[in-house]
Amino acid sequence: MLDLLVIGAGLAGLTAALGAASAGRSVRVIAKGLGAPLWSAGTLDLLGYLPDHTPVRSPVEGISRLPAEHPLRQVGGVSAARAVRELAATLSAAGLAYGGHAQDENLYLPSAVGSARPVYAAPVAQLGGRLDDPAPMLITGFTGLRDFFPHLIAENLQRQGHAARAVLLPLSLLTDRHDANAVHLAQALEAPSRRQALAAALAEVVAPGERIGLPALLGVEPHAAVWSDIQAAVGAPVFEIPLLPPSVPGMRLVHTLRSRLADLGVRVELNMEAVAFGASGGQIEWVATATSARPLRHRARAVLLATGGILGGGFTCGPSGALREVVFDLPLTTPETRDRWFAPSFLDPAGHAVFRSGVRVNADWQPCDASGNALYTNLWAAGNLLAHADAIRTRSHEGLAVATAAAAISAYLAHAATFGRLPVAA
Amino acid sequence: MHTPSGHSISWHSVDHALDACIKCNICTSYCPVSAVTDRFPGPKYAGPQAQRFRKPDQLLVPDDSVDFCSGCRVCNEVCPTGVPIAEMNARARAQIAAYRGIPLRNRLLGRNELLGRVGSVMPAVANFALHNPLSRLLADKVLGIAREAPLPRWSESGTLGDWLRRRARASFGKPRPAADPAKRVVYFHGCATQYYEPFVGKAAIAVLEHHGYEVIVPPQNCCGLPLLSNGEFGAAAGYHRRNVATLAGFARAGIPIVGTSTSCTLTLKEEAPELLDMHEEAALTLAQGVWDFFEWLRVLHEAGELRTDFRSLPMTLPYHAPCQQRAHRVGKPALEILGLIPGLRVVESRARCCGIAGTYGYKTEKYRIAMDVGEELFAFVRNVACDQMGDVRYTACDSETCRWQLEHGTQLPSRHPVEILAAAYGLYNLQERKLT
Repeated sequence: MLDLLVIGAGLAGLTAALGAASAGRSVRVIAKGLGAPLWSAGTLDLLGYLPDHTPVRSPVEGISRLPAEHPLRQVGGVSAARAVRELAATLSAAGLAYGGHAQDENLYLPSAVGSARPVYAAPVAQLGGRLDDPAPMLITGFTGLRDFFPHLIAENLQRQGHAARAVLLPLSLLTDRHDANAVHLAQALEAPSRRQALAAALAEVVAPGERIGLPALLGVEPHAAVWSDIQAAVGAPVFEIPLLPPSVPGMRLVHTLRSRLADLGVRVELNMEAVAFGASGGQIEWVATATSARPLRHRARAVLLATGGILGGGFTCGPSGALREVVFDLPLTTPETRDRWFAPSFLDPAGHAVFRSGVRVNADWQPCDASGNALYTNLWAAGNLLAHADAIRTRSHEGLAVATAAAAISAYLAHAATFGRLPVAA
Repeated sequence: MHTPSGHSISWHSVDHALDACIKCNICTSYCPVSAVTDRFPGPKYAGPQAQRFRKPDQLLVPDDSVDFCSGCRVCNEVCPTGVPIAEMNARARAQIAAYRGIPLRNRLLGRNELLGRVGSVMPAVANFALHNPLSRLLADKVLGIAREAPLPRWSESGTLGDWLRRRARASFGKPRPAADPAKRVVYFHGCATQYYEPFVGKAAIAVLEHHGYEVIVPPQNCCGLPLLSNGEFGAAAGYHRRNVATLAGFARAGIPIVGTSTSCTLTLKEEAPELLDMHEEAALTLAQGVWDFFEWLRVLHEAGELRTDFRSLPMTLPYHAPCQQRAHRVGKPALEILGLIPGLRVVESRARCCGIAGTYGYKTEKYRIAMDVGEELFAFVRNVACDQMGDVRYTACDSETCRWQLEHGTQLPSRHPVEILAAAYGLYNLQERKLT
């Protein structure tokens, strides 16, 4: 029997599985589909803003100013930052280098519209765009590439006082296709001939002293080689700016984590939607997923729920208007009536109550009732399904996932160490 | 909306799923077909987006690009919100077929059972007639069946049915050990095993009998999948109705129906009832009673009833779980079972698709696409073979057309996992594909 069943293949689920498997536990990850990391910029954001939208310089210090019930506050700033740094180190060791976190403060990178984006750690290919670097930027786009408009980006950067100009190169440098999405273009650049052609074109337009900002298309699997080849051939620093989904940096992140998990013998099974569960004596005994015919039961000594929030698919809203947690029907902290979900103003500086609703956990990261008692003795939860976080507004999406996954796995391992392996349900 | 044969296309479950698409493009990023060709714009565009413009009573035909969807279902697999995109595209192809009619080529390719039966009358003649360069050139130019495509050969040593009849005659009148009524199982062989690869069926039956099961092989029809993927829903419904009529009784009696062709078992369980909107009690009972072969063996194993009297099979085996197997959503039980065989090192493929996708890669205009899609898998096999220096003699895969494509793309012989298992029990010669 498995030690731990992780439900959800987003950043929280994958890092939790990594933590438990590294500690010698047998783990399986099941998920309905590929998750939120493929919609993300591939950076590891820890805390960019406080809930009142005050920019945060030091996430560790910022976390201490979060409301007491906030999950990152429960992890603690120092531990949360450590969890992100450890993930960055794991990814770097696996060939996907991350950096920027050594200074332990947020740094700002340009977004796909040229706004300043606070991140805690980033893929090294994005770090060349740091906005505290005075070197002028040449934002380079491609004709016909949707969702990346270099002139818009450069103009917005200029307005914020950064030296930037824009240039458009023909898309035919990257592809002969009539239509291609970001992933197809990134895969096209894996061919050495395409890299050389692009580098030659860039060398012609770049001015001395400039750094080149490209859409994040520099290869999917052999990314490091694509990036360094182009940089070396142009003779100028090159950095990536993440695009709208599908996110190539997010895809690299997921592929790297999954390949680490495969090395540890952890299976990640997609297209497995949890549809039922069985519990007795306060323990989860099995979780069933839909198949082409009858439900398939997964049995494990313990379960970690990391299905995400409204975005990730961990909650659903039926015709009655009530928000539900999809696997165990755990109670959510949603305002009782729907008219209290939203503030009257769309851009209310305090955000909307419904986005802070989620699963309440106790000090051991176990879903609990109002008085803190665990609802099931062998269930833990982590990530964006947790209550009291509004991760998108506060720019803490990845940090919340990674830090709470690390904390929940520590709690699970401590529990398993105290009581021996959790007893097998009869 | 009716197909030429009068079968109505149901859009209900599709319309329901449409709003679940959040346009995140994950499907397009993982689609193996749109990665290699411009002719298919990607699942999101051909599926949930184009679907907005398809109405049951409209006169506009869905855009031709949807015909370039291979139906591999990788989109369904990665979709974070559970949209059944491949089924949406299958319905759109049926809508095209309804308006334009079905080309002779597609009618032929859809009729695997008929082709199998006709060729099996004189298999040697049929093989010569089909597998010579002139016929293949003609088939390419006249019909549009790609000259290089890996078409199967009819079995020249008789069909699986012939073998079963010979076996029954040989044992006629001989005393048989009283079978445990709880240990009966129905075997669904599918057309490929019946007419082209009877040895796969023999291996499966040998494995089942090795576990003390009485194997019942009732009359059965094509599952209808080739027709479904070519948009011929009416004819597929006919096949499915007949299978329900002959097989549902066994399911009702609690006798499991196991199949070695993973696409057939998927069709009986889910694709036929879903696409044909056949949700009556008998069809659902059948669906609930069907198991993919290794899915069922895993149940045996979990109950402690799987025999482990294996002999060692010292070799490295690249295993590809085909798209149709993954669409069962039961994990990869063949990996778990083959993992028990001493000496055998199974290396799991993470390639998305071999490219052939049933009859897709046979078509002249799609052959190149299928080979380009398959390159990911062929490269995986080449890499494993290169790392192992000669230790790789076979690949394994649960679907027949995928095995033929794998052989075509890698030049290595391919086997069904049940052949590997039968060999490990000492029941089967893996090289000659014969029972021992």
